[in-house]
Amino acid sequence: MDTLTERYVQEVVRRIPAASREDVGRELRATIADTLEARDEPDRAAAERAVLTEMGDPIRLAARYADRPLALIGPDLYPTYVRVLTMLLATVLPVVVLVSMVADLVENNDLGGAIGSGIGSLITVGAQVFAWLTLAFFLLSRYQHRDERARTTAWTPDALRPVRRADRSTAAPVASATWHAALAVLLVWQQLALPYRAANGDRLPVLDPALWSGLAWPILLGLLALVALDLHRAFGRVRDARSTVGYLVAEAAFTLPLAWLVWDRAIFDPRFLHEVNGTWTAPAAWYSGAALIILAIGMLEVMKRVREGRQAGQGC
Amino acid sequence: MVHSIVWRVDTAEAIASQAQELRRGTVVLACLALLTTPQYGYALLETLDAAGVAVDGNTLYPLLRRLEKQGLLTSEWNTDESRPRKFYRISAAGAAVRDGLIGEWHDLVDTIDRLTKEA
Repeated sequence: MDTLTERYVQEVVRRIPAASREDVGRELRATIADTLEARDEPDRAAAERAVLTEMGDPIRLAARYADRPLALIGPDLYPTYVRVLTMLLATVLPVVVLVSMVADLVENNDLGGAIGSGIGSLITVGAQVFAWLTLAFFLLSRYQHRDERARTTAWTPDALRPVRRADRSTAAPVASATWHAALAVLLVWQQLALPYRAANGDRLPVLDPALWSGLAWPILLGLLALVALDLHRAFGRVRDARSTVGYLVAEAAFTLPLAWLVWDRAIFDPRFLHEVNGTWTAPAAWYSGAALIILAIGMLEVMKRVREGRQAGQGC
Repeated sequence: MVHSIVWRVDTAEAIASQAQELRRGTVVLACLALLTTPQYGYALLETLDAAGVAVDGNTLYPLLRRLEKQGLLTSEWNTDESRPRKFYRISAAGAAVRDGLIGEWHDLVDTIDRLTKEA
């Protein structure tokens, strides 16, 4: 007999343990027939459809009969799953990406290619870690016995981490100062040390030397001013509107010329570009995109400082 | 300055969804209370419905089997009528659990009464 009810019952019972299939099937048929009878609807086909629609998705009903969670990873394993996933993504992934980038750099001596292979392994290894871990936890949550589940989730307050002091912490400004200082040092160093060795033995800077009779200076001064302001923010006692304005000026001095040079494709030494890329030239869109990202980061930084300045003003 | 966000709350909707949470656990107690006389799935659903206990068939039928598996209900197929039906009735263990749950229920009502009087 191939009625709609029969199809529905089959869909449910094939998803529950074999031992109870026959009994559940019989009961389900009787129940659906009872419900149908009570409807007292002349159009039997329409009534049957309505009753089955009310019973709902057979997969869901079967899960209820089998007392199985309707989730890939049940609520009892979810916290452990998130912890392990975060741990793996934060430790294994960077190591693998770094190793693959270094290996690529050593083998091909091509920074662009190494960055590409780094991004590639970031995506593939990240997806692999995610997929396998999810599969493992799915199997665990399906086949683990109930009281065992309770044991794996036993959590104690010892696992709590100390609260990070978000307010007035010195860590963020110090990190920011270090970053700006490193950029300033790199900017000068690449011009003085001429780190790139061309095929013909010439030593080249990375950035265009012509910048030093122009826009390199506001960038350098902006960076140094940012370092000073960061240090003041970290260790100074007073914070006032003047330091917010200082940030605005310094960030503008650093970001605007940099974004303009990248946009104008005037940032790199042409000889260096020729050595690295050969005859290939990066599409203009890459430069415009990078310039926009630089501008966006600069604006975000300024907005953060303005907000902090306002909060500090209100707090006093 | 203290920032505060006031959400627009649809009161009727909020009550409906919270009430559903409140009622969820009471279906088991209602079943245990009703099944002193044997009944089959659909008839029990109708009785519950008439008594004002709103529950869907796709929740009730699996629930009955689960209670049976836990030993709180027993079941028997009745083939006397034209359509064979599975009749459930409460077991001795189920009756003990029911009495315990009724005690819990009264405690809850007392507690909430006390709390709402003070408020």
